[in-house]
Amino acid sequence: MEIKKILVPYNFTDLDRKALDFVIRTFSNAEEAEVTVFNIYTPVPSITMKDSPEMKKMQASLSYLHQLISEQEENLKQAKQILISGGFAADHVNLVFKAKKKDVSTHIVEMAKEERFDLIVINRKPGKVSRFFTKSVFGRVVASLNDTIVCIVS
Amino acid sequence: MNMEDKIELNIVTVVHRAIAESDNLEIISTHLTQLLVAAMEIKGCALFVLNPESQELEILASFGLSISYLNKGPVLTGKSIVDSIKGIPIVVRDINQSDKLQYPENAKAEGIRAIVAMPIKFKGSVVGALRLYHHEPWDLSERDLELLQCLSDTIGLAMNCTRLLNALQIVKEAVTDIHQLWI
Repeated sequence: MEIKKILVPYNFTDLDRKALDFVIRTFSNAEEAEVTVFNIYTPVPSITMKDSPEMKKMQASLSYLHQLISEQEENLKQAKQILISGGFAADHVNLVFKAKKKDVSTHIVEMAKEERFDLIVINRKPGKVSRFFTKSVFGRVVASLNDTIVCIVS
Repeated sequence: MNMEDKIELNIVTVVHRAIAESDNLEIISTHLTQLLVAAMEIKGCALFVLNPESQELEILASFGLSISYLNKGPVLTGKSIVDSIKGIPIVVRDINQSDKLQYPENAKAEGIRAIVAMPIKFKGSVVGALRLYHHEPWDLSERDLELLQCLSDTIGLAMNCTRLLNALQIVKEAVTDIHQLWI
């Protein structure tokens, strides 16, 4: 099976960087390979502002939160740069920066199905207890997909 | 040094409402960190869950902290603001005059000057931590500290509620997978 469409869920960790390195080592020479780096962010909550001095101050601070989210989007562009430096053509690297509306795993699975990715490169850090609280992204992605190759970076 | 109350009731209401609006702990905890940064005009905020085996604080959500600071290495309860694991709030008002930090150089490079560590407890045991980072020396008022502890207790309940929901979901999926022919 020829790998043409690769999805890399990316969250700025060392393991995510390892995933990019793996993609570069394995697919940068494949002319038709196209990589999509995918990051989701939690949008700033919409809150009803009451007319009080402290809430007006809060409103001003919320625009700072929007600014930090924009910075996160800028940081994602560095991942694209890493792939280009590793040998991928610029038009073969896509970035998707999306607001979180459901579980991260659901976002990944839906995107993989809709866009028909051939390969997903996802990381897994064994032994983490946070999976009990926020569900294992790795576990749910693997359990929910058919006809898709999933590479695990650990 | 600033000892004035920074958290007003309106703000607590807004934060509680944001927490109550979702059943997804990733969203709840990120909203909590975002709103605390905005309300208290501080540098950043992070929420951790305690791994009882490795004694590592695993990050659940953060806001306002750089990627390199978050990737600095494992945060160990035996090395990082040690007393916070005893279940009491710890205020490091000036990191330059404290030996409580595990990664003091990383904190300085990040522009952090003060840290407040709140324990997150469930049934009396520490299950996580809420940490607030300020870019200047910081003395929190008693009242703000109490309100933060109240928010930490709420997030402790939300954490355990979602943990139980996740476990139930797994059981439900396992039961649904059993074919009628086999029972």
